[in-house]
Amino acid sequence: MDTPRFPNVTTLIVAAAMIVLPFVVPATLASQIAIFATAALSVTLLLGGAGLLSFGQGLYLGIGAYASGLLLRDAGFALLPTLLVATAGTAAVAAVLGAVMVRRQGIYFVMLTLAFAQMGYFAMLAAKDVTGGENGLSGLPRRFDLFGATIASPLSFYVLSAGVFGLAFLAVQRLLASPFGSVLTAIRENEGRSEAMGYNVRLYKIAVIAVAGGIAGLAGSLHAVFLGFVPPTDVDLEVGQRMLVMSIIGGVGSPGGALVGSAFYTLVSEALSELWARWMALIALVLIALVLFLPGGLWSAGRHLTGLLRRRDADG
Amino acid sequence: MQLFLFQVLNGLGIGMIYFLLSVGLTLIFGLMRFVNFAHGAFYLVAAYLAFAIVGLTGSMVLALVIAPLAVAILAVATERLLLRHTYRMPHEAQILITFAIALLIQEVVIMQFGPLGQNVPVPQALSGVVFLGPFVYPAYRLAVVAVAAVVAVVLWIVVEKTKLGAVLRAGSESAEMVALLGINVDRVFMATFALGGALAGLAGVLAAPLRGVEPFMSAEALGIAFVVVVVGGLGTLSGALVGGLLIGLVQSIMSTLWPQGAHLMIYAAMALVILARPTGLLGRT
Repeated sequence: MDTPRFPNVTTLIVAAAMIVLPFVVPATLASQIAIFATAALSVTLLLGGAGLLSFGQGLYLGIGAYASGLLLRDAGFALLPTLLVATAGTAAVAAVLGAVMVRRQGIYFVMLTLAFAQMGYFAMLAAKDVTGGENGLSGLPRRFDLFGATIASPLSFYVLSAGVFGLAFLAVQRLLASPFGSVLTAIRENEGRSEAMGYNVRLYKIAVIAVAGGIAGLAGSLHAVFLGFVPPTDVDLEVGQRMLVMSIIGGVGSPGGALVGSAFYTLVSEALSELWARWMALIALVLIALVLFLPGGLWSAGRHLTGLLRRRDADG
Repeated sequence: MQLFLFQVLNGLGIGMIYFLLSVGLTLIFGLMRFVNFAHGAFYLVAAYLAFAIVGLTGSMVLALVIAPLAVAILAVATERLLLRHTYRMPHEAQILITFAIALLIQEVVIMQFGPLGQNVPVPQALSGVVFLGPFVYPAYRLAVVAVAAVVAVVLWIVVEKTKLGAVLRAGSESAEMVALLGINVDRVFMATFALGGALAGLAGVLAAPLRGVEPFMSAEALGIAFVVVVVGGLGTLSGALVGGLLIGLVQSIMSTLWPQGAHLMIYAAMALVILARPTGLLGRT
């Protein structure tokens, strides 16, 4: 876990990485990394912050994406209100579902996240008059105005995505460093004791589920804006699993892990998809190895390395 | 009314396959409190083995013998090599590693057989229909129900009447106590994984001629298996049977009334059962 301070070294590293990113990879790819880093951040906050494992965060990404698609296309919303309304709306849905889900713990909680995610997917298919069913939602605008600037080029989309990720990242860091974050840590480490100390555990869980849902919704909103289209795969169970895989690979011990995980996953898939269509096998192997040998994910590997270096400095 | 009764009959047939698919998952959970997200992948491997064996030899019987055995070996190998190292880790680690294994197996299957679906022919001897009173029912489906029913009876005898069954039941109460009584729990865990894998394998082979094979059938199967065991009662044999039949019936009947809603309903049912009665319809409280 990050030392609960804010801002800290992690903030600097992530900020530097976001600035360097568009210079080392194409802007479109960089945007994808930023968008999915935002999505993975949602899982990182839930699992790393409160110890809540969710296979269903894709549901909130999907809700954010579809809501934004409808707002932009049919309600004529501008970019900023769309992002805000999608985020707040998704957070509200997550709060309602969260209020139901926190009644169960452990494996039953995981099953509930799966059940709701599946229901969301099949509801999307059933309501195909609104959602476009398996065809998705198309015909979104391709250029936006934000604070007087025009967002249409790949680089401008990256600036938008990176800005949104940066804000979400700072919010999560700030949240984890706050007293609220300390209570979440207490719940993660020992739920029964936190309850006994008088904290309303369920309420804290609902709050973190709502925030995490809002962040996933924001990522979904951004994804719709970025693609100009809402693919039905955005509310698939698979997208929730991808978010989980990214955040596990990066490591849930720090919000920085979300960026590392998203970058790793996106770059591996981009680099290998031409050469080897089954690159997912590699991701699976990495995941198995991490669970067994490095539960803190890649972010913690960096931490171990700097720890080793520091020790060597002290010795020498 | 005729149609409705036919759907009920059909639902029972699907339900028996769901039972076979889920019972291994529930046995493993019952004994070890281990949630195996790779269970659907075991089913997938068996279905593809059936496809390969039937394609090579034309013999479904051979597939029914070899595929479950091979999957049992795969399950034991996975357990020995990877899963046993996670027994002392939190639930989350077990879920994640089995999820990753399922992903890996799915990718390997695509490498071997390609991403597209394939058909598996119904065995010649069972390709006809059977007249059940006013109904015409495919003979193969009837055979599946028969096989699953036999398996259910055998499993019930094993769990309730044999020493292994006694160990299984005792282990699900307290694995530690069973170990203290001098029983090699490690071996029991291995045997349970083998049995669970073989049962998923059996379901995969039997389902292959009914629905064909495709690499993504594992995710769908895993979802169904979760619904079945949760609705029936996680960890109980009878729960898997009742849950399987119930979900099979609901799906079959809904498929005529509101096809898009069939899946929506079963996952809603799952959520409802978890919230209202987490031990499942048949579980002890």
